[in-house]
Amino acid sequence: MKLKRIMIAAGLLAALCAPAAQATPTLGDKLPARKSTADHGKFKELQRDFKSGPEVTKACLECHNDAAEQVMHTKHWTWEVVDPKSGRKLGKKNIINNFCTSTISNEKDCMACHAGYGWQDKSFDFAKQENVDCLICHDGTGTYRKLPGDAGHPIYERKEFPHGSGKLVEATDLKKVAQNVALPSRANCGSCHFFGAGGDGTKHGDLDSSLRNPAKYLDVHMDAKGLDFTCVSCHKTSAHQVAGSRYDLSAARTGPARPRGKADDNPASCQSCHGDKPHKESLLHAERLNAHTETLACQTCHIPEYARNGIGTEQSWDWSTATKMGPDGKPLFVKDSAGRRAFDSKKGDFAWDSWLIPEYRWFNGKLSYKTVGDTIDPARTVEINHPEGGPREPGARIWPFKVHRGKQAYDPEHKYLLVAHTAGEDHAALWHNFDWPKAIEAGMRTAGLPWSGKYGFVATEMSWPITHMVAPKSEAVGCAQCHGAESRLKGVAGVWLPGLHKNDWLDLAGWSAALLALLGVLIHGSVRICVLCRKTRKAS
Amino acid sequence: MRKLIAGILIGLAAGIALAVGALWQLAGGLVFEERESPFTVEETVARIQHNVEAAGNGWSLSGLRYPTRPLEAEGINALPVMLIEACSTKYSGPILKDDKVRFLSLLMPCKVGVYKKNDGKVYIGIMNAGLIGGLFGPLVGETMRHVVKDQESFLVMDPAKPAPPLILPKSGGEAGAAGGAAGGC
Repeated sequence: MKLKRIMIAAGLLAALCAPAAQATPTLGDKLPARKSTADHGKFKELQRDFKSGPEVTKACLECHNDAAEQVMHTKHWTWEVVDPKSGRKLGKKNIINNFCTSTISNEKDCMACHAGYGWQDKSFDFAKQENVDCLICHDGTGTYRKLPGDAGHPIYERKEFPHGSGKLVEATDLKKVAQNVALPSRANCGSCHFFGAGGDGTKHGDLDSSLRNPAKYLDVHMDAKGLDFTCVSCHKTSAHQVAGSRYDLSAARTGPARPRGKADDNPASCQSCHGDKPHKESLLHAERLNAHTETLACQTCHIPEYARNGIGTEQSWDWSTATKMGPDGKPLFVKDSAGRRAFDSKKGDFAWDSWLIPEYRWFNGKLSYKTVGDTIDPARTVEINHPEGGPREPGARIWPFKVHRGKQAYDPEHKYLLVAHTAGEDHAALWHNFDWPKAIEAGMRTAGLPWSGKYGFVATEMSWPITHMVAPKSEAVGCAQCHGAESRLKGVAGVWLPGLHKNDWLDLAGWSAALLALLGVLIHGSVRICVLCRKTRKAS
Repeated sequence: MRKLIAGILIGLAAGIALAVGALWQLAGGLVFEERESPFTVEETVARIQHNVEAAGNGWSLSGLRYPTRPLEAEGINALPVMLIEACSTKYSGPILKDDKVRFLSLLMPCKVGVYKKNDGKVYIGIMNAGLIGGLFGPLVGETMRHVVKDQESFLVMDPAKPAPPLILPKSGGEAGAAGGAAGGC
């Protein structure tokens, strides 16, 4: 009897649990709205008029006492990454990029995107916890803003920005922001990552302000009316360590999907949720598509173009024309037809475009970088970074890239790229005095490298793996766009593409087989007709 | 004799079928013309717009449309297409006043399509107004000859000249599948 009762109870429990199990959110469901369990507006620590960012951080640390220590071990704080294989120091602090070129000697401007306060030169105290900026990632009001020139501090008083523009920017209400903190939204991450290199969409090509509130066609995961993923839905964070940096990219993840919460080396990869056999259509079709995952990254088919909006992205930055003045001898600023920067006397020539077809390259997840002081060959285009990997390498796949091209200053004697002091209002800053030698002298002195006193300009390029702006599956790259004479993958080595490539011997064998088959049919038919005729004749 | 006549008829039918087939294949290329642009979509549009404004002969911009925007709203990804609408009252007037050819208002305003293809290049698509005009009598034919001449001037783009700004219609004439005209016809 007792056993029977237990069994009935177990049955009822199972019946009650079943619907709950079915209700577990799946990838197809919209993620639930994030709501905090704490109203920060009611905390006495935050009932103050904060005078500075560090004051706010001190208040945050009164409860979140380990947060600053965690942040201090992240790239968002150090701007430095040590390559585990080579031991080289990478990160924004050390590498050269193809846009503003180097943070060295330009910290006051660049650190508008540092998760900290006060980094303006080498003297910055990386151990001081109150220098950590909590609000840049956790502002829930959308009003927190840091401007170039303030060494990472928010706006403390009303000021003119950009300098000389006559436009006024209001001071940030730090109390309001501190009382309204939240988990990072797309806008939080985007406040830096959408605006890298000084403008909306400039740097990445697959990240711009349109992703604050994107439509489904633009990004099926972040679709504001659909799945509504935030950045941290994929870039899952643990102890403030954000997964999925391009310094630590999984180019060819294999195996099934790993549900969130399980041990996972990189939850930011597509395969992390979709597995490496994601296609579930009819058996033959799915098998064929899944076979592609052994050669292609998911992004190669599912991001047909990048910068798919009117914002566009910068395709080139030519520093060699910087300091050229207008006919009146004054600095010139020219926009292109779409209103994007085309020329600036401070910075040189730019080219922009939208809806860009990526360039495709083999990639094993590792980008090798030029750091300050690395030797270059000025006779060739300098690869600021280089996607490693090639065909037949198990960890490599063909990936889509934005390749940003340009020209940068270099030292013809020492044969390395030069660090120029560009930003600032001081006498040596290029953007203030339009004097290359002064700017280079100041930049190289800060970098601690000798300069010959000569400079020229060398062609450069930088590759950016494309991984955002994932289109709905119905909008993936069509077969004919690769398997045709005008294949997107034309020029990618080590891959045989039916429809693009041909082998004369194989074609000869195929045509011979077809002709022989036709001949066989004709002979067979002729024999049958002859036999029939003879039989008919005999019968008659 | 019977065999000969049958042969001739079959040959004639085959010839007609071939001619119709060839015409069918060529018709698209005859009615519409496509050419490559060295500029971005926006710059191509802006240069054409400024050429229209400078063309004289009563030409003005009627609108600028984005036919792919309604697709985007449906979650469909399509490469950009921009449609410039231009009209000349000097040329549209006589046609719109004539009952016999007023139905040609269907072709107004004149449209120039600027779009990107999967090869990453930008193209300009125009209608062969001369060919179409020739089908509808001397008035339309003569008018369209002038339109063709002006239309050709719209597409002259000098790379040495700086990129002009896009001209965005102030009201109406800027939409996806629908929208009113702001000026011109």
